[in-house]
Amino acid sequence: MSSSSAPIDWSPMVIGFAAGFISRLISLRTGRTHYPGYPSGYISQLALAIIAAMIGSSVIVSLVGKEFTAATFLTLAATQFRDVRTTERKTLEQEEDLILVARGAGYIEGIAITYEARNYLAMMVALVTSVATEYTGVVIGGVVGIIAIIIGEVYMSGPKIGDMIEVEPAKIHFEKGSLLYVGDVMMMEVGLPHSRERYQKEGMGVLLTPKGRRGQAVLWNVAQRQAISHEAAAAVGTQKDVGYPEQTPLCRMDMPKGSGRAGLSILPVEHNMEALIKAIKNTPVLESGKWSAVTSPVLNRKEME
Amino acid sequence: MADAPTPIMFAIVTTRKESVHGGMAPVFMARDEPERDRIAMWLCRITNCIAHDLHNGTIVLTVNQASNG
Repeated sequence: MSSSSAPIDWSPMVIGFAAGFISRLISLRTGRTHYPGYPSGYISQLALAIIAAMIGSSVIVSLVGKEFTAATFLTLAATQFRDVRTTERKTLEQEEDLILVARGAGYIEGIAITYEARNYLAMMVALVTSVATEYTGVVIGGVVGIIAIIIGEVYMSGPKIGDMIEVEPAKIHFEKGSLLYVGDVMMMEVGLPHSRERYQKEGMGVLLTPKGRRGQAVLWNVAQRQAISHEAAAAVGTQKDVGYPEQTPLCRMDMPKGSGRAGLSILPVEHNMEALIKAIKNTPVLESGKWSAVTSPVLNRKEME
Repeated sequence: MADAPTPIMFAIVTTRKESVHGGMAPVFMARDEPERDRIAMWLCRITNCIAHDLHNGTIVLTVNQASNG
């Protein structure tokens, strides 16, 4: 780039880089997916963030300097970020066999997409900021950067379960001897008296009532409910180990009534209803859970409106 | 994922011999209900299966093919 005749103005690049990097840093902090959870994970994310912010911020500088080769190479480098998604997915999929309450394929895909998108977001914030700085000066560029970061944050934080679904504590009890109920939602059949005792003594139950059609469509999604169980277990722990399949936290629909409500039963390590409800409410709504709010005849029922 | 895995009946524990016939699953006879529950629990813990009470003196133990433990 040093071959250009005029001296390079570095300020668009510096400000753009800073904005892009900050945008990525903010989304790293607010991640509620328990990933990345370790310094090594953070380092790799930070490295990607630096690269992304640099690509975004240096495009305009190289274009202004009439270095079209450099600009082309930068767009090439940007395509490398496609691999981020694959890497994330692989990591999480491998972890799936090692954790007691699986995230589920839908949740993993959601996390992977989000991480990929956030790198692109950092890139775009850097690009917008550096363009603004280039043509309007450092002060306005900085302001545009801050606005871009805020807009990115607002639009990137998707809906949460708490936005669409009412979460309330419910009593765990057994009917007909061995059927586990949460409130009036039947969960499963527990054949072992030992486990039934355990559930009655230490179990916690939560009822999920959709606030509208959208919430109901979300709840009918199996992957979504698996994600909810995972978040619940991550928040209060679960008394489960290999060889205790009936002590798995479960999230099931109210069947065969099909009223659209769901129940969640869990044997927690820490008996903390507040933490449990908060974790469920903060579970992100999965992309795969956003399908067809009108296809099921059950969804057309009056009482759900 | 959306379809539940088909459970395989792994064993039958009963106190009422006349209510079950042998098939693909072995039948464990128990003298009384506490013994039946104990046998069922042991088998569950050993083989990672799930117990279902049929409420006629019989407990069936099933294993999910792709159980996540």
